[in-house]
Amino acid sequence: MSNGVHEIEDAKLLFVFGYNGADSHPIVARRIVRAKRKGAQIICVDPRRIETARIADLHLQLKNGSNLALVNSIAHVIIEEGLCDDKFIAEHSSGFDEFKELCKKYSPEAVTGITQVHPDDIRKAARMYATSGQSMILYGMGVCQFAQAVNVVKGLANLAIMTGNFGRWGVGIGPVRGQNNVQGACDMGALPNSYPGYQNVTVPEIRAKFEKAWGVPLSDKVGIPLTQVPHYVLHEPEAKKIRAYYVFGEDPAQSDPDLAEVRESLEKLELVILQDIYMNRTAIYADVILPSTGWNEHDGVFSCCDRGFQRIRKVIDPPADANVLTDWEIISRISTAMGYPMKYRNTEEIWNEVIDLCPSFTGATYEKLEKYGNIQWPCRSKGMEDKGTSYLHKDGKFANPDGKAKFSSIDWQPPTELENNEYPLIFSTAREVGHYSVRTMSGNCRLLRNLEDEPGWIQMNPALCEELGVKHGELVKVISKRGHCVTRCLPTDRVKKQAVYMTYQWWIGACNELTIASLDPISNTPEYKYCACRVEKIEDQAWAESYVLREYENIRLSMGIDVAKGRKAI
Amino acid sequence: MTVNEVQTTCAYCGAGCQILFKVDPEQNKILEAVPAHGRTNESTLCLKGHYGWDYINDPQILTKRLKNPLIRKGGKGSPLEEVGWDEAISYTANRLMEIKQKHGPDAIMCTGSARGPGNEANYVMQKFTRAAIGTNNVDHCARI
Amino acid sequence: MNRYVQGDPLLCIGCRTCTIACVVAHEGKRIYEIDPDGYDFHPRLKVIKTFNVSVPVQCKHCENPACKSVCQSGAIRVQDGTVLIDRDKCIGCKSCTEACPFGAVHMVPLGFQLNPDGTRRSVAHKCDLCHGLEGGPACKRVCPTEALRLVESEDLAELLAMKRTKVLMTASSPEINRPV
Repeated sequence: MSNGVHEIEDAKLLFVFGYNGADSHPIVARRIVRAKRKGAQIICVDPRRIETARIADLHLQLKNGSNLALVNSIAHVIIEEGLCDDKFIAEHSSGFDEFKELCKKYSPEAVTGITQVHPDDIRKAARMYATSGQSMILYGMGVCQFAQAVNVVKGLANLAIMTGNFGRWGVGIGPVRGQNNVQGACDMGALPNSYPGYQNVTVPEIRAKFEKAWGVPLSDKVGIPLTQVPHYVLHEPEAKKIRAYYVFGEDPAQSDPDLAEVRESLEKLELVILQDIYMNRTAIYADVILPSTGWNEHDGVFSCCDRGFQRIRKVIDPPADANVLTDWEIISRISTAMGYPMKYRNTEEIWNEVIDLCPSFTGATYEKLEKYGNIQWPCRSKGMEDKGTSYLHKDGKFANPDGKAKFSSIDWQPPTELENNEYPLIFSTAREVGHYSVRTMSGNCRLLRNLEDEPGWIQMNPALCEELGVKHGELVKVISKRGHCVTRCLPTDRVKKQAVYMTYQWWIGACNELTIASLDPISNTPEYKYCACRVEKIEDQAWAESYVLREYENIRLSMGIDVAKGRKAI
Repeated sequence: MTVNEVQTTCAYCGAGCQILFKVDPEQNKILEAVPAHGRTNESTLCLKGHYGWDYINDPQILTKRLKNPLIRKGGKGSPLEEVGWDEAISYTANRLMEIKQKHGPDAIMCTGSARGPGNEANYVMQKFTRAAIGTNNVDHCARI
Repeated sequence: MNRYVQGDPLLCIGCRTCTIACVVAHEGKRIYEIDPDGYDFHPRLKVIKTFNVSVPVQCKHCENPACKSVCQSGAIRVQDGTVLIDRDKCIGCKSCTEACPFGAVHMVPLGFQLNPDGTRRSVAHKCDLCHGLEGGPACKRVCPTEALRLVESEDLAELLAMKRTKVLMTASSPEINRPV
């Protein structure tokens, strides 16, 4: 995020785009509620009537998959009505003329067929966003999980640049990162193209710095993104194939799109190493399982969504009968056994190595993290007076070679797999507020399990339910070109009739049996928010209920649970 | 009963909430999670922050806690067998070295983790991938 | 005046932290010690979601409770400004569920208690304002957006005063005669 979470409530206008904070980050959603209480206007752009839409001044209930058409159209109105911050554009940006040209064809009337949003509402949104004086954009997976994703982010950035909503308190653009430490994994260089601190592996001087620090020559070739692993296992020629997969704290056999293909690739791999705290679906394919300490059993640092480093602390010891090691100890020992010795005594020692190699993190010492609790990078100086940076791009300075923000001129493109006669509905994944990710943690928490459990729900418009003859709570079959699953019907008029939504946490109602592995060309993020599906009524509900029970028991058995002990968890 | 208090950062989303855990040190048990003051959460927590910690006690609900290293000694399809750490480490290292020797470092892919392990573990993982294996094939589940 | 917990739909984000807090308050921390299926998960409030509203619904602790009037077994009483159900006296007739105009009383099976004929015993169940529990209503304490408040007689007086002033101000405002 360009700006801090704590700044959200001070914005005069929040432009919430494809971001359902109430389900993905209730404590960030709290800031949206507080902003409203403090008098901020809210524009919500979402195909569903999400919680933010309820309290918004304007809800643009756009058609799924029309993001960039809408964003460019808002830019069109801002230009057409002379609402640009001309001074900011002139002094701090490049490429505006080309962008202006592109926007010409995106009048609200021209895109209304694509977006299903009334032209008046697009105009109203553009005026509100451009004239509040302090507008902040928040976006989430409703932007990122499309085959056209990075370009929509750039489109949103265009809006902030053209209205001068950068580099001040309570403005900017905020991708609210989903998983707790996804920011941290990026910060630490768990990325195929960058070392820690966003230092590119293809830049010779940077590579030389890391070669010197680590004492070995390093590869200058950008690595393979995670979502392309199935492709590199199954479809590349022999010489380019991936043969070993070291999976650490993840469960691709549950979380990745098109699970049938993921399973096929896990079976094909010569070696699958799994390092985790609980049995998971990938474990079924693992040749080696390395058990590690869980959250609350080790020390370290997390990065929260707005670049804030914070300490995590060991709260308890692992259970006495658990022969587990911390993740960094396991990896260090394997490394040492492979002839590249890594010897660390504690996480602070590792952290000191990190911050010395990353200029934007250098000042975030353990000492300061203890004292201040939270340090947002960039924090460049170790002196106690440098407490980090709440918002980026101060004084209109951007991280491009010319120091300017660059307008991106990109056309909207439709999603990959459109609804058709056989699969007439749009299928999109969503989040379960009480569960996390693949549920290896939250699924093993008693109360969270009580609140929601297998096989999850599919949100359907009541008119669609009526058409299909399905009622609240009934089990239904959801089918796409790639697979099917069984889940429960949840009629709700918060969704339109053309689209259905399933939360992605479930193993029986496993929505990734349906999703398509169509990737954004830049971020390689799958199109989790759009594929075609159909929903079928199951006539024999008694059979379906017993199927779910049986499946659940099978899952628990395969995950090492003594099923005979205790009652059914469903 | 002595009750210790330890403050940490929640592991359930990017909001970065601060939680104070009350712990019984003798029994090595968490008793309760209460909101602590943090820049982003201002002494509030959601349901996952309040009630998302008892997984650590291995309540046998969905999946079993992994407590020992496991290897399929008989190759693919054979059962997972418990082994000690020394054997697990040398087995893993040898298999990785074999593949690296035969097919080159780019035949190996590693992941970081966007979840509980923390920044230091991610740093060590990418360093291992780049320096010990010799490839930039490291990525994580940022996209889900 | 009886007190009650009131939710504000403008602040509620439908996260249901309150729902779990209710169960923990009544079952106690033993939840974390015992078999994961060894306790009852019966929240005394229900978060409802419509097109425009998300808010928890629970007992209003009426001054002249319909549930109490229809109760044949004398299981419902008013004590300490709270309408309470005595589970031991409840015969499970469901009259209170039918009588309550807010849908705030529902029937729950008691996990490990059986009727004489071997079926699971069900009793009437509703918000008791965490009667007898330290710290007052747990739902209100945990709500991350402060969407829940415990309404006491003075709060109601304040609300009334505010509403009356607002009406007066609107009536005397010049805006009232401005053509629309």
